[in-house]
Amino acid sequence: MNGYPEAVGRIVTDYLERVRAQLRLVPAVEQDEFLREIQSHLYDAYQQMPGQDDVARILAVLRNFGEPAEVVAGRLPGAMVRSGARRNLPLYVVGGIFIALFGIPLGAGGAGVLVGLLCALAGVLIAYFATVGSILLVGSLLMLLGAVRFLLPHLWDQLVAMGFIQIGPPVAEFWDRFSSSEQALMLIMIASIFAAAGLGGLWLGKYMIRGLRFLFVLAFDWMRRGAQRIRRGLHRGPREVAGRAATATGFRS
Amino acid sequence: MEYLSEGKERRITQLRKGILELAVMGVLYHGRHYGYSLVRVLSASGSIALKEGTIYPILGRLDRDGLVRSEWVESDQGPPRKYYALTAAGRQLFDELSQEFELLVSLVQQNWQAAEPSGRGEEGGRAKGVRQ
Repeated sequence: MNGYPEAVGRIVTDYLERVRAQLRLVPAVEQDEFLREIQSHLYDAYQQMPGQDDVARILAVLRNFGEPAEVVAGRLPGAMVRSGARRNLPLYVVGGIFIALFGIPLGAGGAGVLVGLLCALAGVLIAYFATVGSILLVGSLLMLLGAVRFLLPHLWDQLVAMGFIQIGPPVAEFWDRFSSSEQALMLIMIASIFAAAGLGGLWLGKYMIRGLRFLFVLAFDWMRRGAQRIRRGLHRGPREVAGRAATATGFRS
Repeated sequence: MEYLSEGKERRITQLRKGILELAVMGVLYHGRHYGYSLVRVLSASGSIALKEGTIYPILGRLDRDGLVRSEWVESDQGPPRKYYALTAAGRQLFDELSQEFELLVSLVQQNWQAAEPSGRGEEGGRAKGVRQ
């Protein structure tokens, strides 16, 4: 930086870069001209600033000159936005603390309850289909045993002798009153009842899946809309603050 | 009371900001200045303490509205300086604004005297001296 000691030049350059950063929305030509003007001012002020310590002098000059945001105010459409936001900073801090203390736990609790309900419903559905699957399995086994009793009576006798098929005394006494073909028919009938119950369960399960899917979609849509509202609120907030600040000060940005 | 104090500070700042633009025009009415010299003149009066950088937004607005013209002039003591001078439109506007300001000052003084009918004569006289 011409005309400055090295350390002072670095400080001035850093300050001008901060001003330039604030002017990023301003056309480059205007940026350059404005920075030249500030540079000229800082140089004159530095020359006039009394003192022996060069760094202390330039720091005093910059302190008197003001923060970059104050300097560029009026040249930048968003300048008043930052100014307004700063003025309402304590309110935002208090709001943030309240949200952190109450809003987030309540929101997290609500989301937790919702997720828990959905998980519970999903669990019920899984248990339901497990039961239906068991009924179908039992029906299939009974159907198989009926077929064995009807088509392969020797195999049935062998399975009973080997202990693979065990029937308790009261049921066995009742069971032995019937012929093998009648036993096979009874087994097939009972298997059919189980199969019908299982298939009916599957048919009902289709509606349960649709209902649960509807609840899931409803819940996730609700959460998505909530998140969108919060995002819009966060984006809109600073603009409204800026609008109020501009109106209150009567400043044209 | 803290709110009242904050409101007072805010109003004083607004008042100064509003008057500062008129004061800048007043200084430029009598001759051209660059930013730093303008600040020196304004600060020399002692009535307005301002961050020096805040003069540039004002100059920027006046320039944008065609109330001042500017030109870069080389300096033998350092970087070039950007000089400002009131345009004809700026001079005319300053005349009109000065009259408005005079009316406002008299209005403020009149209300103030009505609210405090006695014992404030000396301060009221000093208030009249605001306009130079």
